[in-house]
Amino acid sequence: MGPLIPLGQISSGWDFIIALIIGIAFGFILEASGFSSSRNITGVFYGYNFVVLRFFFTAVIVAMIGLEYFDYMGWIDLNMIYILPTYLSPMIVGAIIMGVGFIIGGFCPGTSYTAIAIGKLDAIVFTLGLFLGIFIFSEIFPYIEDFYYSGNMGNITISEVLGISNKLFTFIFVIIAVIAFYVTWLIEKKVRKTINPYKFE
Amino acid sequence: MNKNYFILFGLLIVLSGGLLFLPEKTNYVQQSPESLMWDIVQPTRYISTDQVAKLIIEKDPLFQLVDVRPDYDFEAFSLPNSFNIPIDSILTDEANDIFNIEDVNTIFLSDDDIKADQAWVIAKRMGYKSVYVMKGGLNCWIRTIIQPQKPSESAPITEFELYNFRKGASIYFTGAELSTNSDIKQEVNITRKKKETVAEGGC
Repeated sequence: MGPLIPLGQISSGWDFIIALIIGIAFGFILEASGFSSSRNITGVFYGYNFVVLRFFFTAVIVAMIGLEYFDYMGWIDLNMIYILPTYLSPMIVGAIIMGVGFIIGGFCPGTSYTAIAIGKLDAIVFTLGLFLGIFIFSEIFPYIEDFYYSGNMGNITISEVLGISNKLFTFIFVIIAVIAFYVTWLIEKKVRKTINPYKFE
Repeated sequence: MNKNYFILFGLLIVLSGGLLFLPEKTNYVQQSPESLMWDIVQPTRYISTDQVAKLIIEKDPLFQLVDVRPDYDFEAFSLPNSFNIPIDSILTDEANDIFNIEDVNTIFLSDDDIKADQAWVIAKRMGYKSVYVMKGGLNCWIRTIIQPQKPSESAPITEFELYNFRKGASIYFTGAELSTNSDIKQEVNITRKKKETVAEGGC
């Protein structure tokens, strides 16, 4: 049954339309979750607000569990899902640069656009910096091309590296996430003077 | 922390833990009977021994040969660069890895068409799209490529061209030396009328 586009259930001409709809939904949820505020985002680094961690952990574990069950039911073929190749050392360097940019600017690329959407000036400055960074990267790319493509480990997954099944890895990851949820809540309770927990209605 | 969060935590752990107790199950994207019937009647699912010989000689990277005969037959004789997946091993992970190579077409072959056809149907049912059968199998390979028969004098020129190709292919695959027959008379200006339809191969 799925994935829908590779199996021809939906023609590939719909790629961009689907991407646009998912992008709008993603942006809406980012804004609704408070990610247009750089305080919420950098709070993880300063140790007083872990909403980013909980938000993304939740998204990841729900997707992991959902995909595993979909695969089991035969609704999606996980073997056909594209896995980005891993270039270990360039990815570590990229992650450090991204992390530093995250702390300094208070946004990641996606959240900066949601912040622009609600008219935040700091997000506009951040986005200008983002394009400047893209320009500089493009200019120096020929000099770093060898490093950029170095350490190719292929289309591997963590469960393949660890030699365990995807299902077991999903379970372990959920346990780690739940522990992280609880520990970050304890830290926030200790650090923050005012905390307004979400009220279930 | 709100007790509702603990309920959600519990739900996530139960759902992810449940994955570990699911019985093994393999899901193939199976082809519908109508679509399979349509594919079965298509002559394009067959590839002639001449085409296979050409693909091997040209070292075409977009094709792979899968020999579905038992391993002892495969060890006794096989085509160059062919894989051996006996028909009873066609559902194994190893076979799956071979069929799953992206953009590569798989050609099944056996002694005749029967086992290769069976493998083709199984592969089709498993959802593999680019699978073919070598028409006539290895019996036809021996008859057409390894020991080609010289066409009769009155045969159309295309049959002579085919014969020449097969003769060359035979030398390529057997390593035999080219024999020059001194008795061959020089044929001059013989124009043969082409037949309307030419039967290719004969297997």
